[in-house]
This record gives sequence, structure tokens and C-alpha cells, in this order.
Amino acid sequence: MPSMPQPTAWRRFTAAYAKLLEILLALSVGILIIPVTLQIIARFTNIIPHYIWTEEMARFLFVWCIMIGAMVGVRESSHFEVDVWPEMSRRPEAAVRIAARLGTLALAVVFLWGGAQFTKFAFNRTSELAELPLWMIHAAWPVAGLTWIVFLGEQFLDELRALFGRSAS
Amino acid sequence: MKSQILTAGPAAMLLFGVFFSLLILRVPVAMALGLACLPILLIEPHLSIMTLAQETFNAYNSFILLSVPFFLLTANLMSCGGITDRLVSLSRTLVGHWPGSLAQINVVLSVFFAGISGSSTADAASQSKIFIDAQVKEGYDLSFSIAITAVSAVLAVIIPPSILMIVWGGLISTSIGALYLAGVIPGLLIAGAQMVTVHAYAVKRGYPTYPKASWVELRCALWQSIPALFTPFLIVGGILLGWFTATESACVAVLYSIALSAFVYKEIGKKELYTALLDTGRLSGVALFCVGTASVFGWILAYYRIPHELLANVSTWGMGPIAAGFFIAGVFLVVGCFLDAIPAIIIVGTVLEPLAKSVELHPVQFAIISIVSLAFGLVTPPYGMCLMVACSVAGVRLRYAIKDTMIMLVPMLLVLIALIIFPEVSLFLPRLIVPGFLK
Repeated sequence: MPSMPQPTAWRRFTAAYAKLLEILLALSVGILIIPVTLQIIARFTNIIPHYIWTEEMARFLFVWCIMIGAMVGVRESSHFEVDVWPEMSRRPEAAVRIAARLGTLALAVVFLWGGAQFTKFAFNRTSELAELPLWMIHAAWPVAGLTWIVFLGEQFLDELRALFGRSAS
Repeated sequence: MKSQILTAGPAAMLLFGVFFSLLILRVPVAMALGLACLPILLIEPHLSIMTLAQETFNAYNSFILLSVPFFLLTANLMSCGGITDRLVSLSRTLVGHWPGSLAQINVVLSVFFAGISGSSTADAASQSKIFIDAQVKEGYDLSFSIAITAVSAVLAVIIPPSILMIVWGGLISTSIGALYLAGVIPGLLIAGAQMVTVHAYAVKRGYPTYPKASWVELRCALWQSIPALFTPFLIVGGILLGWFTATESACVAVLYSIALSAFVYKEIGKKELYTALLDTGRLSGVALFCVGTASVFGWILAYYRIPHELLANVSTWGMGPIAAGFFIAGVFLVVGCFLDAIPAIIIVGTVLEPLAKSVELHPVQFAIISIVSLAFGLVTPPYGMCLMVACSVAGVRLRYAIKDTMIMLVPMLLVLIALIIFPEVSLFLPRLIVPGFLK
């Protein structure tokens, strides 16, 4: 298989999507500070009323923040794993990686499938305090599943190339 | 009674069997925990795949865990905002003239760091970048450098503030203020044990020593570090005085470090801030995602009452508080090898609580014994987060640094033993300062 100097449109798309997720991730961490700070300020001063929804907002944003972080983690293969294998050359290493990623893929399918039900289940419900539509939060599960599948796809391709490619460099 | 198809025994075999098989296949721990729950969710008619989403949601929808990204962010801001640099110079002037200077500075910096951030992972990540390369250049062995960086990073969860103490206090209602105070002496003792270890290594292997810093240098470094050194007092004091909750205190740490970096040390720009936020999101994402799947795993264990079955015999052994302390430490040391600390507290901490109560082990002492044991788990293979982080920064495999890490754990274990035998080690400070919090 000849090596491609130009990334394909698909790879450009996944790279752009990953970049978008990164920006959203940094933003959500930054914004998390606001409701908690408001909560502290409201306790000590009368500048702002003591909003009851700040805690809930913080928690919901936090849920998305974790899920986006988990999505980025799959692309960067930074979810922690236990290392019991001896040092291996490129091909067996690729085989083990494919096996491991099949596990992640299985969970991705579960998240997509179960998450879709989970989102549908919350369609007509709103949160207790801020009265936000709950499906907006539950949607993080199917989105995570789908995103993992997208990112895993190109990783499988790379490992398969390493496994069957002519040069085992 | 719920109608369950499986009984506790086969369910446990299935859960742990699938989990360990997947770990061996090198499936990430977080995914393996989630997948291990899958067969059970499909077998039991009362459960469904949606349970996985629902229970992970319940785990993340928690105000307590918010302290994790906040403390990670504090740590990242310290590094890019100039706070860490000041604390390095202070450590240098304090212990730089002792044998193994740079490694001693490594430990002392971890103590200061532990007083500001409550995350060991963050400590390992930032100090690995500072010290491992620098130590190797000065002639220290790489495995020693990795080991001392990883091992000193665990102080962050023992010396207040601490993510583990917040999680513990939220889960097993214990006063977080009392836990914070109780962690101070054990934390300093462990730091002392590490410094003795460094000294022994340095003398034996002839590691370099810096010239002694002058009084002027010390005064200058201290003066520059005062605003940063004030942080632990602000956080712990704020909680004890009831100004803010534990999670809010983590947010206060973020705000304070932003203020220091932006207005006092003036070293942070937009780009650094973005990098700090993104790195925080990355690390807290993968760490907390694992907490979610571990919570489902723990929830299913509880569904079958597996922990109670396992511990059913233990209460008949007739242990006293000291024996129970050793038992609890042993359980957490073993569990800590395989699980991250927060999931371990969720799954095991709540199970051991009745045992601690029945032998009249003080709740605060129980918590500190558990947290210190779990802190050791941060550097024990196969799943030692701090050691993994330090090794990945150094670009070597985990096993490379295991021997030196184990040697360094021995003196630390002595502190753990003292903690179990003498309740005063943990209880002295809270009794002195906030006797009311101990009930």
C-alpha cells in the first residue's frame, strides 16, 4: 500500500472534529469555574441573588466535560491500561492493539445503543432545579459512542496497515 | 426480595473474570470495567444496557467530583503561572545543600505542592517534566529519578487539600475539615521517610550536592513564595471556618492561583491559560470516566451483595482496632494495585465501614489509614497512576522503575504501621484544633 502524502478528506474531518472537541473541552473546564464562584460570592455578599440553579448547572456542564474528555481520550489513546505484555515488535504489537481496541469498540456500541434509549427515555423530562431538558445531558452518551466509533475506525486502519503492510518498520 | 437469576458467587466470578481477561488483553481499565458489567446487565431481567448509562450518569452528576478538575487546573496553573518556579527556588534554598540535592528538592516541592493541589496525578505529571530529565543530567539513575518523583507525588492526596479526602468525606460522612487536619502529620512523616531514603541513596551512589544557599537567598525565596504558601491556610481555614464547602475550596484554589499568576507573578497569558484548561480537561476526562464505569461495577457488586458475602466471615474473627487497621490497610493496598483510588473508595470503602465501626476504630483514623494505603496504590503496579505518568514522561515502560519504587515504599510502610498502631498520629491535630468535628 503506498503511503499517502496528502491526508484524505475523512482524516481531515476527524482531525477537525477532534480540534472542535478540544476547544469545547477547554471551554467547559473554564466555564465550570463560573457557577461555583457565583455560589461562593452569593453566600457572602448581596451583589447577586443566591441562585439555586448554579449547582445543577455546574453538575450538568461537568457531565459533558467528562464525556468530551473521554472522547478525546480515545483519539489520543490516553485511557489508562495495564501493561503486562513483554516488549514486542511492530506486528504483534499491532495485533494486541487491535484486540484491545475491539474492547473499546464494543463499549462504544453499547454507549451508542444504550445511550440512545437513555436519551429517548429523558425526552419529556426536565431537570429539578434549572428545568433544563434532560435529554440534552443524556445525549452525551450516544454522542460519545458515535465519536469513539469514528476515532476507532482510523486507528483500526493504521494498525491493520502495520499488521499486513509490506514494510514492518 | 429482588428476583435475581445469578447468585453472588457466579456473578462475582463473571464480573471479575471478564474484567481481568480484558485487562490482560490491554483493554483500557475504564472500558474493561464497563464491559465486565455487560453480561450481568443482559442476563438479569431487572437490569438493562440503559442501566450502564444511568449509573455512569449518576456517578458524574456529583458536586463532589468537581473538585478533581479544579485541583488539576490549580496544578496546571501553578506550573505555567510561575508559582512552581518560586517554590522550586524556596526548596532549593531549604534542602539544596543536603546529599542528593535535586532529589531532596523534588520531595520538598511535592510537600508544598500537596498543600496547594489535592491531586497526585497532577503532581506526578508536572514534577516529572521538571525533575526526571534534570536529575538524569546531573548523574542520577533514571529509575531512581522516576521512582522518587512518582513516590513523592502521592503526598498530594495525604497532605491537605486532597481529592481522596473530599470523596471519602462525601461518601462516608466524615468531616472533611477533620480529615484535612488528620492528614498533615502522616504526610510530613512520609515526606521525612522519603528524604531519609534519598539521603541513603545519595550517600551510597554519590549523587551530587549543591553548595549551601546564603541566608539572603533563603529570605528572598521565602518572601517570593509567601503568597503561594498561604494557599493551604486559605483552603483548610476556609473549610474549618465554614466559609465554603470542600468542592468550593477547590474552586477557591483555582481562583487564587489565577490571581497569583496574573497579578502577583504576572506570568500567564491567554495561550498558557488555554493549554492549562485543555490539559485539565484531558486528564480529568480519562480519570473521571473510569470513576463512572467503576461506579457501575461497584453498583452491581452491591446489587448481589458480593462485598457483604466476602466480609461475612471477617467480623467473626474477633479483631481489635489494631488488627482491623492492618486488615483494612492490607485490603486497600491490594485493591490499590488494580484500581484507581476514587473507584476503590467507592467500591471498597463503603463496604469496610461497618467493620471499622464494629471494632471502634475512629472514623477519621479509619479514613486516613485507608487513604494512605490507597496513596501507596498510586505507585504500585500494575495500575499505579503516578508511576504510569512518571514513566510515560520519561518514555520507559512501567517495569523499568519498579525496583527502586518498591525500595522507597519500605520506609513509607513504617509510617503506615505507626499510623495504625498509634491513633494519635492522625488524631492529634484534629483533637487539638477542632475537637468538635470529631464528635
